[in-house]
Amino acid sequence: MIPIAFWRNRRRYYNLIGNKCKSCGKEYYPPVHICKKCGSKDLVDWEMPKEGKVISYTILLEPAEEFKPYAPIYLGLIELTNGVKVIGMLTDVRKEDIRIGMKVRATLRKLTEDRDGGQIFYGYKFVPVE
Amino acid sequence: MSRVFVASVGLVPIGDQWHKSISDLMVEAALKALDKCPWAKPDRIIVGNMFSGASSSQEHLGALLASCLGLKGVPAFKVEAACGSGGVAVHEGYVAVKAGLADVALVVGVEKMKDILTPQATKALAMAEHADYTQVVGTTFISLNALIMRYYMEKYGVTREEMAAFPIIAHKNAVTAPHAQFKRAITLQDVLNSPMISDPIRLLDSSPAGDGAAAVLLVSERYASKENLVEIIASEVANNYFLVVEREDPLFLEATYIALKRALDKTGLKITDIDFFEIHDAFTITAALSLETMGLSERGKAPRDALNGKFELNGEFPISTFGGLKARGHPVGATGVYQVAEAYLQLTDQAGPNQVKGAKYGLTHNFGALDITTAVHILKRVG
Ligand SMILES: [Zn+2]
Repeated sequence: MIPIAFWRNRRRYYNLIGNKCKSCGKEYYPPVHICKKCGSKDLVDWEMPKEGKVISYTILLEPAEEFKPYAPIYLGLIELTNGVKVIGMLTDVRKEDIRIGMKVRATLRKLTEDRDGGQIFYGYKFVPVE
Repeated sequence: MSRVFVASVGLVPIGDQWHKSISDLMVEAALKALDKCPWAKPDRIIVGNMFSGASSSQEHLGALLASCLGLKGVPAFKVEAACGSGGVAVHEGYVAVKAGLADVALVVGVEKMKDILTPQATKALAMAEHADYTQVVGTTFISLNALIMRYYMEKYGVTREEMAAFPIIAHKNAVTAPHAQFKRAITLQDVLNSPMISDPIRLLDSSPAGDGAAAVLLVSERYASKENLVEIIASEVANNYFLVVEREDPLFLEATYIALKRALDKTGLKITDIDFFEIHDAFTITAALSLETMGLSERGKAPRDALNGKFELNGEFPISTFGGLKARGHPVGATGVYQVAEAYLQLTDQAGPNQVKGAKYGLTHNFGALDITTAVHILKRVG
């Protein structure tokens, strides 16, 4: 994790802010420079809907160095209600309760921290909704 | 434009090579190839490598290799396309010879994975993905493949046991491959009992880390009368959208599809004309997706076809004839060069017990990350 790179994108990680094509309306997360559907360069920042469902998941036992203290971590492939797919950690859930099709909501959580500089990295994670 | 031939190859056995540096590995592979063709003097050198900076604090590999070989004045450089670096390096050598800019292009793929610890290697491999949007949420390369594997199994109702067919075939073929990392067969129980890494991916679903280097010597038609040549009749590279989540259908490898289609169109061949396939089986799931995208199995059917013997050495479409990425090994940036070298051995009847009898055409398929950059080569027996 490179602290300045994280800081640069922090608003996107906090609130799932991607962008939207002003010409054809297609929505993106992460944001794109050029619309992949119509080729327009006229895009505006756009907040993703927070609700979605799990279309796949994994229990990762050997994460990268930054996430080692939190292993195992649960990762979900989430389809948001606007059709955009994102990958994010699943939290506030027991591993045996994770299901394909499970409804989830994005929420702001601590992702990890920089053990040298003390910076805490926050971002979205997904929690189940009943 | 010139025709392009492989004149010789050099293979370093893959594994823990603690006593050899990255330049030792490159030079060993290069000399094995060059010694077979004393008439050949490289006028271009391409090195395929992914993370020598992270593994060996060493970049600038092209000129380093040229210098180690005692050469001056040669255009020599490294190309990088993550795990597809080797295939792209062969492509760059092909382009130079094809265009008439080189008569003898030495292509070497190299990776030194065992000088660093697993977390460092994991981090280096994760760099193949979009740093800002995958690493930050805790995704590693293996977990990304795990998400896709579960998605696939769920969508097509494929069982865990069926998926295991691929590592079993790979290990079976590696038993008699002199340069393979794992020269041993495995059983279904071995796969199912191997440690979980990222559910549903277990250790034996994943290609191993290893040190390795391979070389292929490409020559122009000026040398067409030399012995033991194999012709490269197609060399295609294509990209796909960087993030798997951006793709309309994450289970369809579009870069593979496009590169393969171009290669077949240019050669006038059908996929069923090819006698063997060195596929990018970095994970069990990538073997299945590759075969289905290539049209060798229907969607969702590759594991069952594998169980029925379709992809065995003596089956309809032999794959990973020396063990593939799973068992021959996957020293990432070297892999694509190993594949082309193996196709050369098959098409010159030097594959020993692994020989696909009478093979005329061979295909190699190598990609970076999950089909982000894909290189496809078709090689043809000469004479
Ligand atoms: Zn648009």
